[in-house]
Amino acid sequence: MEEPPKEAQGGQPASEQKTAQGAFKKAAAHKENADQAAADGQTTERGGEQEKGIAAGTAAAETSKEKAACAADVQAKVKEIKRLLPAPDILVYEFSAGDGTPCAAVYADGITDKELMGMLAARPLAERPAPCSREEAKRMLLFPELREADEASACSREILAGNPALVIGGVEGYIILGTKKVALRAVSEPQTSIAVKGPREGFIEDIKTNMGLIRRRLKTPDLMFVMLEAGRRSGTAVAIAYLKGIADERVVKKAEERIRAADIDGVPDSSYIAKFLAERPRSLFKQAGTTEKPDILCAKMLEGRIAVLVDGSPIVLTLPYLLAEDFQSAQDYFVSPYRATASRWLRMGAACTAVFLPAFYVAAELFRLRLLPFDLLMTVAGGVRSIPLSPGLELFFLLLVLEVLIEASVRMPKYVALALSVIGALVLGDTAVKAGLVSSPAIIIVALSGISAYTVPDLTGTLSLVRLAFIVAAGSIGTYGILLLAALLAYYLVTTDSYGVPLLAPFSPLIRSDLKDTLYKAELFSLWHRPRVLRGKNERRLASFGKEGEEMESEVEQEETKSSAEREEMKGAATEEGKDMQEGKGGFQNREKTKSSAEREEMKGATPEEGKDIQEGEGGLQNNKQAGGTSQNREEAGGRPSETP
Amino acid sequence: MNDIKLRQLCFIFAAMLPVTRMIVYPATLAYHAGSDLLLSAALSLALEGLVVGLMLWLARRTRSTFFGLLAENFGDAAARIVYGLFALFFALSALLPLLEQRGFVMQVLYENVPPLICYAPFFGVCFFACTKGLRAVGRVADLSLPVFVLSYAVVILLALPQADFGALLPVVESGARVWRGFAAGPCWYTACLYPLFFLGHVRYERRAAAKVLGAYVAGAAVTLLFLAVFYAVFSDISILQHNSLAQISKYATAFSSLGRVDLLFIFALTLVLAFALCIPVQLSVHCAARALGCRPLLPAAVINAALLALTVFFNTSFREVQQFCTQRLWFVYAAFAYLVPVLALFLKRERPPHGGGSASHLLKRESPPQGAGRRPPLFSIFKKKESHAPCRGKRHGRRAPLLSIFKRKEAHKPQRGRRHGRRAPFLSIFKKKEAHAPQRGRGRTEKRARGRGRRHG
Repeated sequence: MEEPPKEAQGGQPASEQKTAQGAFKKAAAHKENADQAAADGQTTERGGEQEKGIAAGTAAAETSKEKAACAADVQAKVKEIKRLLPAPDILVYEFSAGDGTPCAAVYADGITDKELMGMLAARPLAERPAPCSREEAKRMLLFPELREADEASACSREILAGNPALVIGGVEGYIILGTKKVALRAVSEPQTSIAVKGPREGFIEDIKTNMGLIRRRLKTPDLMFVMLEAGRRSGTAVAIAYLKGIADERVVKKAEERIRAADIDGVPDSSYIAKFLAERPRSLFKQAGTTEKPDILCAKMLEGRIAVLVDGSPIVLTLPYLLAEDFQSAQDYFVSPYRATASRWLRMGAACTAVFLPAFYVAAELFRLRLLPFDLLMTVAGGVRSIPLSPGLELFFLLLVLEVLIEASVRMPKYVALALSVIGALVLGDTAVKAGLVSSPAIIIVALSGISAYTVPDLTGTLSLVRLAFIVAAGSIGTYGILLLAALLAYYLVTTDSYGVPLLAPFSPLIRSDLKDTLYKAELFSLWHRPRVLRGKNERRLASFGKEGEEMESEVEQEETKSSAEREEMKGAATEEGKDMQEGKGGFQNREKTKSSAEREEMKGATPEEGKDIQEGEGGLQNNKQAGGTSQNREEAGGRPSETP
Repeated sequence: MNDIKLRQLCFIFAAMLPVTRMIVYPATLAYHAGSDLLLSAALSLALEGLVVGLMLWLARRTRSTFFGLLAENFGDAAARIVYGLFALFFALSALLPLLEQRGFVMQVLYENVPPLICYAPFFGVCFFACTKGLRAVGRVADLSLPVFVLSYAVVILLALPQADFGALLPVVESGARVWRGFAAGPCWYTACLYPLFFLGHVRYERRAAAKVLGAYVAGAAVTLLFLAVFYAVFSDISILQHNSLAQISKYATAFSSLGRVDLLFIFALTLVLAFALCIPVQLSVHCAARALGCRPLLPAAVINAALLALTVFFNTSFREVQQFCTQRLWFVYAAFAYLVPVLALFLKRERPPHGGGSASHLLKRESPPQGAGRRPPLFSIFKKKESHAPCRGKRHGRRAPLLSIFKRKEAHKPQRGRRHGRRAPFLSIFKKKEAHAPQRGRGRTEKRARGRGRRHG
C-alpha cells in the first residue's frame, strides 16, 4: 500500500477501523472541551469579565459543537462509502482544513494519482479555512475536473473508476476529484493493420486517449460523443462517436438503445458490445466493422458511420457495416488509384480463391475432371493415385492441420515459432506426402487457399468457415453443391441489413455512385459524395477540385439529377427498414431485443430524458447542477463527464 | 420486404430470363422450326414483350397491387381465389424448367449419373429464398447481371469461331415450321406475368416503360443471338444438343491446352439459372400467402415439397411433361400468361394520387398478408377522392386522416399536372432550392449567376 502525500498537513493513511477510532476520539475530545467550557461558563460569577468569559466560552462551545458535528458528518459519510466499498484497497485519507475542520478523501489505491490529490486538493484546503459550500470548495480547489455527487452510491462508482471522493466537514454531499491514474501503454502501430505508407498511430486501451486521438483528427464542433456504461459489474465506459449532420441519427439512437439494453456483468472487450449491436447475433458474418487506427476511423466517420469505443479495448467498432469495406485498405488512399484498384481486385480474387479453390478441386477430382487440361489432369491423377483418403477428406484434414498450425503459432511464444514452422512445413508437409497420406496438389491447394484468406484480414475467420462448408458441399454433392451453397449465401447476404443498410451494398442493391470506392478506387476528386448507402444528411464531401466553379457546379447538378433517382431508391428502400429500425421492428431478434431492452430499461429505472441529455451532449459539471440528480447519477455511472463538442 | 427497384426489374428481363431459354428450348425450337428458329423465337418474344408493355402501361396508371385491383373490383374473396389459381399456375410453370434444370445439372455437372438426392438441395435454397419475400428477387438480380454478362460473353466468344451462319438460311423456309416453333414455346414465355405481380411493389419512374422495354429487348437480343450461334454451330444436329448452354462452346480450340475453362462460366450461368428458376416459385409462394392470408413460411414449405415430389415423380419424364404442357395445357399457359394480364387492363382502377409519392410508401400502410382481406388505405384514399360519386362505402370513411394529408398537399398545389404529382419527392428537393429564387424555373440559372457573382466578388 502506498503512503499518502507527505505535503498534506495532518494527513494520515488509516484503515477503516483506525479512522473510525481516531474520528470518534477527536469528536469526543471536542465534545468534552465544549462541555467543559459550558460548565465553566455556568459556574463563573456574573460580572463584566465574567460575562466576557461566558460569551467567549459560549462561542468556543458553539464552535466545538459545530466541529464535533462536522467530524461526525464526515465520519458518517466515510462510513457509508466504506460500507459500500469494503475492499481493503479502498483507503481513506483524513486531514484537517486550515481552521481545523475535518476533511477526508476516499480513494482506490493503485488507480488514483495520490500526489495530484495531495497537491491540488489537500494542500489548498489545509492552508485555508474550510469552505462553507461545494461551490466555494470548488473555487478553492482549482481542479480541472471536478464533479459533485449527492449519494454515496454514486461516489462509490467514481472511486472505483479512480476518481477520489472528497468529504469536507460542513459541506453537503461529495466532491469528486478527477485524478484517475491508470498505467497505459504508448500509442503505437497496431499489429493487425500495419501500413507501409500512412499514419502509424493506433488506438490503445484507454477510452479517453482514444477519444483524444479522434478529436485530434476531427477538429469540428460536429464531433459528438455519447457516453454510456455497459456491464453490471465492470461498469465499462462506452462512447458512441459520430459527426452530427453527417451520420444518420437513427443509427446513433439505435446503437445507444442496444448498448443500454446490454444486460451483461462485464465487458472486457469491444467484441462483447459488437454482439449486442448486431442485428443477427448468430450470423456467421460479422455485423460491425472494426478498426484499430484513428485515421481509418475518422475516414469512416466522415463517410457517415458511427464509432463505438469501449474502455479497455483498442478495437473500435463502426456502424453500419458493409461487407465491401473489408476489402478496402488504408493504403488504398495513399497510393495511386490504379494501384489501389488492382489491389482491391486482387483481394476480391484472393477471397474467392480462398473459398472456392479447395471446393472446386474436390469437385473436379470427384465429379468433373474434364475441367482440368489433359497434362494437368495427368499430373494430378499421378499425384492422387495412391492416396487412401477421398479428396474431400484429404483437403478437410489438411485444412484442419493448417488451422491448428495457425492457432498454435498465434498462441506459442516467439522462440517456439521457428520450431513450429519446421514441424509444420517439413514434418507434416513433406513427410506426409512421402508417406502417401496426402497428395502434393492438395498441399498446394490448401497453402494457396490459406494464404489467400489472409489478404482480407478482417474476414479471415469467416472465410475459413465458409471454405469448410464449401468443401463439405463439394465432397458430397459436387459442383452443383458449390453452386447451391453460393446461391444460399447470396440470398442470405442480399437480405441481411446492418442498421438499415444492406450488407452487400453497393453491389446489391446496386448503387453506381458508391462503386467508385468499392469495386474500384476512383481519384479523390471524383469522390464528391459520401457513400449514398449510408443515408447521411450531408452528402457532399468535396466542393471543387481543379475545375472552374461554374463547370464544377453544373457537373454536380448533373450528377445530382442523375443520381437523384438512385438516392430516392435508396431512401425508398430504407424507409421501411428505417421505420422498422425506429420502431425496433428489425426482425424477430430485433423485436425480442427491443422488448427486452424496454424491460431492462424499466428495471434499471432509466428515463428517456437521460438518454436525451446524453445525446445532446449535455452533462459535465454545470449541467449536472441543472439536471439534478438524474443526470448526475448518469455522470457518476459513466465514470466521466459527458463530452461536449 | 417486397419492394423491387425498377432497375432490378430491368435486370431480371435482361439477364435472368434469357438463361432459362438456353437449356432445352434451342433444341426444341430447332426440332420444330429448323433454321427458322429465330423467327419462331422472335414471334414468342414479341408477344411476350407486348404483354410486358401492356403491364407497364397498367403500372403507370395505378399504384395498387394486382391483388388490390382485384379486391377493388370483385371483392376480397375473388381476389384470393384468383391469387390461389395463380399460385398453382406459377408452381406448374416452374415444374418444367425445374425438370429441365435437373437434366442439365445431371448431365453437365457430373460424369456419372448421380442420385436424385444431389438435385434435392435446390429446393432447400428455393425455400429459403421464398421466405425472404420479393425483395430477394430484385437483389439477386443486381448480382446476376455482371455474372451473366461476363459468362455469356465468354461462352459466345468461344463458340463464335465455330459458327457458320449460313446454316440459318434460307429465311422463312416454311411458315408452318415457324408456327410450330412458336406453338412449342409458351412454356418458356410466362415471364410477362412478372410485372403484373410486381405491380405496386415497383416504384414507377419517369420513362420506366422505356427502360424496362429496353431491358426486355436487350434480353430478347441476347436470346436470339444465342439461338443463332447455337444453330450456326450445330446446324442439323442441333436437335440432339439438349443442354445447349453446355454444348455451344465445346468445340473451342483453346480447350486442348487450357481444359474446358468454359465450364467455369457455365457454372456461373447455372447459378444465374438457379436464381431465375426460383422466381416463379417465389411468386407462387407470394400468391399463396396472399390468398391464404398467412406468412410465406408455410406456403413455401408446401410448394417446395410438392415441387420436389413432382420432380422425383417425373424424374425421367421431361419429354412427356414437356409434350403434355405444350400440347394439352397450352390453353392454360395462354390464359394465365397472356389473357389474364390483358384482362387486367380493363379492371377499374384509380389514378395515382397527386404528389402521393411512391406506391411502396403507400403500400407500407397496407396490412400484411393476413390483412389482405381488409381494404388497404390506398383504396380508401381514392374512394375519398370520389366524393362526388353517389355511393360511398362505409369503410371508406375510416381513412380520413390519410386523405387529409393528400388533400392538404393538393391545397398548396392547385395547378399541378399529373406528371408533377407523380414526381413529388424529386420536386420537393428542387422546390427547396428554388424557394430562394424569385421565379420558378430559373433556379439553376439564378444560382449559377449568384455563384459567379460571389466568386468574382
